[in-house]
Amino acid sequence: MDLVVDIADCQVSNDPQVELVTYSLGSCIGVAIWDPETRVGGMIHYMLPESSLSQEKAKANPAMFADSGIPVLFRSAYELGATKKRVVVKVAGGSSLLDDNGTFNIGKRNYASLRKIFWKNGVLIDSEHVGGQLSRTLRMNLGTGRTTIKVRGKEIEL
Amino acid sequence: MTCTDDILARVGEISPLPGTVVRLVGVINDPSSTPQDIVEVVKYDQAVTGQMLRMCNSAYFGLSHEVSSLTEAVRYLGTMKVLQLLMAVHGNALLAKEQTGYGLEPGILWRHSVAVALTASILGQRISPDEVGLAFTAGLLHDIGKVVLNEYVGREFAEIARLVRERKTSFVEAERQVLGFSHDEIGEKVAEKWKLPDSLVRCVRHHHDPSMLEPADPLVDTVYLADCICLLLGIGLGADELNYRADPAVMGRHNLHEADLELTGASMMCELKRVEEMFADASPASSRKQPAER
Repeated sequence: MDLVVDIADCQVSNDPQVELVTYSLGSCIGVAIWDPETRVGGMIHYMLPESSLSQEKAKANPAMFADSGIPVLFRSAYELGATKKRVVVKVAGGSSLLDDNGTFNIGKRNYASLRKIFWKNGVLIDSEHVGGQLSRTLRMNLGTGRTTIKVRGKEIEL
Repeated sequence: MTCTDDILARVGEISPLPGTVVRLVGVINDPSSTPQDIVEVVKYDQAVTGQMLRMCNSAYFGLSHEVSSLTEAVRYLGTMKVLQLLMAVHGNALLAKEQTGYGLEPGILWRHSVAVALTASILGQRISPDEVGLAFTAGLLHDIGKVVLNEYVGREFAEIARLVRERKTSFVEAERQVLGFSHDEIGEKVAEKWKLPDSLVRCVRHHHDPSMLEPADPLVDTVYLADCICLLLGIGLGADELNYRADPAVMGRHNLHEADLELTGASMMCELKRVEEMFADASPASSRKQPAER
């Protein structure tokens, strides 16, 4: 059963029948986490790097920003029984336009923000597919932990 | 008949833009127009009148009494909402179909168009404050050329994709090289056929290359940036992905910074949710679309 993670949305579940899926990642980033022992998993699709842009919007919807949303993702998964040392972390997105001058850096800034948060908290990325001009669909099966991205009609194991 | 002749013939076959839309855009384009002028335009459009009254009486507005007259409805909704509603009712028919050539499932080009329209009206308040209504309309119609070019892009997609992949050609340049026209050029022809104001025709034509205009046009810059924001945020991304060129001059022209665009994107997302709820509330027939798997 598909559980769709919208733009600026975060979902967690401990139902092994569930497949978390988020569509159309451009400069946004999708983070999928999974605990193989409890089979608890979660996914966030955040839009922007830093909640300092608008505390009001971050309060209304923490999943809009990396720094307010990623902690919510992990905490919600811990509440369902996941533990930090077991979780597998997969990352996709962070694309940009054809942009030699770095005019619109949202994708790169989104990725940098994620790295900073993970570094501070000692979280390692197990696998990632980021950058370029791609549109990605990220999918994670909570029964098996199998995580894939779909780009240009092709499914790639992540 | 060559491919380019064939494409041009297709422009001639596109359904005309409904008269109400053309007239309302005219009213909004005219700074001296009054709410009564809007009533005069809209009153002949039964579908829109019905929707407006339903919307005023929906939970979204939470009014204590029933709104039954069009004049009152226009007063409550305001010009922008009337325009949004009118374009939603008529634009949906043009833009909601699936565009397989561009890898867009049903409803996705429509969602992209609404998102660009909302983003353009938010940005427009800063960049082109006298033309916010036009910015909305231009945003909604900017990709109209895709509706005509869709079939041809589908047919020649392998070659277009090869140019994009191997030579880092932008998608519009690749369309031009392979098909003889790009979707912004064909969109210009559609907008001209519809007799839209020149300012809107320019937006449709230059929404991927605003700095080609000399002097630059703030309304075109607005639509360009709005499109970039929505593409980056993945709203309505298709097979063309993010293969469009960033234009470094536009931000400087309006003294904008990355944070301004990010904040605009965040505001648009909140507004898009509201607008989709409002339309769903006003019209039981309309449904919120989830993008299907590509």
